Amino acid sequence: MKRIALTLMILWAALILPVAPAGADDTALQHLPFEQIVEKARGTEVRWYMYGGWAHVNDWVDTHVAAEMKKRYDIRLVRVPMDAGVFVNKLLNEKAAGKQKGNIDLLWINGENFKNAKEAGLLFGPFADTLPNVKKYVDPASVTHDFGYPVEGYEAPYGRAQFVFEYDSAQVTPPADLAGLKAWIMANPGRFTYPQPPDFTGSAFIRQVFYAVTGGHDQYMAGWDADLFAKKAPLLWKWLNEVEPYLWQKGRTYPKDSATLDTLFSRGEVAFGMSYHPSHAQSKIIEGSYPATARTFVLKDGAIFNTHFTAIPFNAPNKAGGMVLANLLISADIQLSKYRPDQWGDFPALDISRLPEADQKRFQDVDLGPATLGSEILGPVAVPEIPSAYLEALEQGWKEHVLDK
Amino acid sequence: MNRTARHGSTLVVLALLFLLPVVVLVLVSLAPGWRFPDVWPAAFSLRGVDFFIRHHEKILMALASSFGFSLLTVAATLFMCLLPAAVFARHRFPGKTLLEGLLLTPALVPPMTFAMGLHFIFIKVSLADTIPGVVLILAMFSYPYMFRALVAGFQTMGEDYRICARNLGASPADILFRVEFPLLVPSIIAGGSVVFLVAFSEYFLVFLIGGGSVPSFTGTLFPLLSSSNRSLAAILTLIFLFLPVLLFVVMDISLMRAYRRKGMMSA
Amino acid sequence: MSWISKPNKTTRPIRLMLGLSPLLLPYLVLFCGGAVLTACQSFGVLTPLPHAGGVLDAYTTLLRDASFFASFGFSLWVATASAFLAVAAGAFLAYRVWRLPGRLAPLSLVYKIPLILPHIAVAFLVLIFWSRSGVIASVAHSLGLIREMHEFPNILYSGWGLGMILAYTLKGAPFAMLLALALLARFDIRQIQTAAMLGASGIRIFFTIVLPRLAPALHTGFIILFLYSFGAFDIPYILSESRPGMLSIHVYNIYFKHDLARRPEAMAILTLMFAFAVVFIIAYSRAVSRLENGVRKL
Repeated sequence: MKRIALTLMILWAALILPVAPAGADDTALQHLPFEQIVEKARGTEVRWYMYGGWAHVNDWVDTHVAAEMKKRYDIRLVRVPMDAGVFVNKLLNEKAAGKQKGNIDLLWINGENFKNAKEAGLLFGPFADTLPNVKKYVDPASVTHDFGYPVEGYEAPYGRAQFVFEYDSAQVTPPADLAGLKAWIMANPGRFTYPQPPDFTGSAFIRQVFYAVTGGHDQYMAGWDADLFAKKAPLLWKWLNEVEPYLWQKGRTYPKDSATLDTLFSRGEVAFGMSYHPSHAQSKIIEGSYPATARTFVLKDGAIFNTHFTAIPFNAPNKAGGMVLANLLISADIQLSKYRPDQWGDFPALDISRLPEADQKRFQDVDLGPATLGSEILGPVAVPEIPSAYLEALEQGWKEHVLDK
Repeated sequence: MNRTARHGSTLVVLALLFLLPVVVLVLVSLAPGWRFPDVWPAAFSLRGVDFFIRHHEKILMALASSFGFSLLTVAATLFMCLLPAAVFARHRFPGKTLLEGLLLTPALVPPMTFAMGLHFIFIKVSLADTIPGVVLILAMFSYPYMFRALVAGFQTMGEDYRICARNLGASPADILFRVEFPLLVPSIIAGGSVVFLVAFSEYFLVFLIGGGSVPSFTGTLFPLLSSSNRSLAAILTLIFLFLPVLLFVVMDISLMRAYRRKGMMSA
Repeated sequence: MSWISKPNKTTRPIRLMLGLSPLLLPYLVLFCGGAVLTACQSFGVLTPLPHAGGVLDAYTTLLRDASFFASFGFSLWVATASAFLAVAAGAFLAYRVWRLPGRLAPLSLVYKIPLILPHIAVAFLVLIFWSRSGVIASVAHSLGLIREMHEFPNILYSGWGLGMILAYTLKGAPFAMLLALALLARFDIRQIQTAAMLGASGIRIFFTIVLPRLAPALHTGFIILFLYSFGAFDIPYILSESRPGMLSIHVYNIYFKHDLARRPEAMAILTLMFAFAVVFIIAYSRAVSRLENGVRKL
């Protein structure tokens, strides 16, 4: 019996030892002219892993983007729904297991997930700066950092987002600033909530409050400062805990993600929704889930904006295909269709002034609908994202000081 | 009268518990904007159906994949259990009760507990993200249903057929495949249906071991469940309900026909 | 073929092993092996990343963490309540269905619907019906029981896991019915008719004649449903509240949402769940057989 156990242990130990790395001719890809990359990718399959909770986004990818990939490059696009944290973990597992050929070709990623992935060596690159559409249309200055972490060409810009609140104009008048929001929450118990961090949108909400109650974003831009955080964070916990008893379900529970909050808002269980996409409410009106009187607003204290990206895993089986898709996603056509609220309503990541005039006109002609705020309102309140070390500390701290307190 | 009322109430309770949800699902699938306080949807729309039609390729692919790996799981459990079930039905040996108890535990303990331990090894040996990997894991906690059904089948069959066939000169392989196997079909179907449903409706383990490479119907349905557009999730749930029912009905009918053809109907 | 030998006699162990091997091998390698691997990783052995701390670190962290105990207790509560409700409802409904006259019996097959639906779909049904903006709230409103949504009792987010219990019960009751009906099919209806003629009430008949006969099926059903609800992931992922969370969600969060350094902790929870399941199976079946022996002696 002992001998069998021993044999099994040895067997497992053998399985655990790292597999010898496969020959990496990937570096060649980074220097290949893009036309050759396209040729390499033609007729293949590209597997794109992305957050799957937004039906209209899935719809857009499955129909519009997939059709373009097929038409232009004869590439079959497979969208796989998976949360960013989960696929980063999957890659970590594969890296540790020495698996050189994974099954993910492109990731939709940003923020702390990007930082974790890049620091753990999970990403292929740099590749973004070789993509023709990035070179032509993207303002390099706008994509040097992702949540304060240097991008260095390891991810390609894909879209731009800014945080807005949603409300039903037939039911409520929105508050003007954070103090007004707090007063509203306390006067209307049970009608407000936010998705539970680390959900993307919920996490953005607490960052906004963090900025507002600690005196603005500037102080955090220099990077992680443990003393500063220790001094400032309690102000945030205090604010959140003060409103908690007045939240939906008395703050005993929080919606698990932004899709759940959308559902609560659309069904009238809460009075405010929130989204990282300024024209999300318009999309939902078009889709029929939100009442036609739904509108959006921002708080005077600031509305965080950021850029989201695509990246290629270190063990992507079809890196060329991933690059072709990343390049297509930042093309004027795709960015335009993505911008339209009846498609998705995600703001373009390219610099519109660099486009040919006809294309610029097409962007200007997009009807964002009555529920979407104009740049004259969004622009002045825009504040940048916090460096991701703060983000992680805030999410961990939220669990400790707000959820489990 | 009293009795009629009681039977009526039985049926009403059953309908309220188990049939009403289906009716409501049909309504939800046709009325994406159905909101409180409407007891009946204010407006119907085919948007959900339309969405389904536009995405039918992807959805049907996932469905086919789910069907495929579930049937493979049934085959795997049958392979695993056939001989051992015969041994269990026919032999006495020390520790048999204990072994039977042990062999049934995988259906009872939470499958996460051993599947997550295996996950990393599966990545190592390239079983993760593959259909064989998914089938192995699913078979590993669903086989007890097949096993019990087969043991019962062998026991009801008794020894007579086998002895008779052997006396007539049939080889052991002939006995197994041409005499006993056909007689076992009802047990295989009984056990196989449960195995199929367990595999077909599993979400998490397919997600974990399949890693997104093995498309599944539950995986397609899952992200839609919390979405504010409920009609699509409702449509998919209805398909979920309809297809296995169809499968079972088709199987029942074809089985009946086969038996009738062989003149085994009386058995 | 070695397994074909004289019936019911002790056979040579090698032949036995050969006949059992298609099942024993995967059982030992995948099931036992998987459980051992889970345990190993909980001690920091064979983890994806080399584990720096001590062997029992993960366990000490867990045992110091109040939220772990809260999750454990909560999982126990949800599992017990839902398995009990499902078995009780299943036994009662099975009995009523069994009493149906032949021509009505086919109609009762609707009970199999939740058996076919996956757990996540049943969770979805519970959302549609029981949320504050759901079907039942709407009906209550139209009946004048509530004036607005917020008067509807907070079923899904009461902090008691009622949503999950409802879903598990809806999914589990037909399963218990199935088991009970299989036993009832062999049950002689004349026993009941005799009892009724002797003046026993319907309730008395159910509790003194039918229920004891169903006991074996109900005990099996209880063990299966209890352990499933205790450790499954699908329904809690849709219906669970932020706190207290089910153990499976706890594991998922540690496994997927954190870096690999906390992997032993996730594995430690899984190991404890495994151990608990095994202990529960043994203790429950012992208790049942002792109880039955006692009854027989009487």
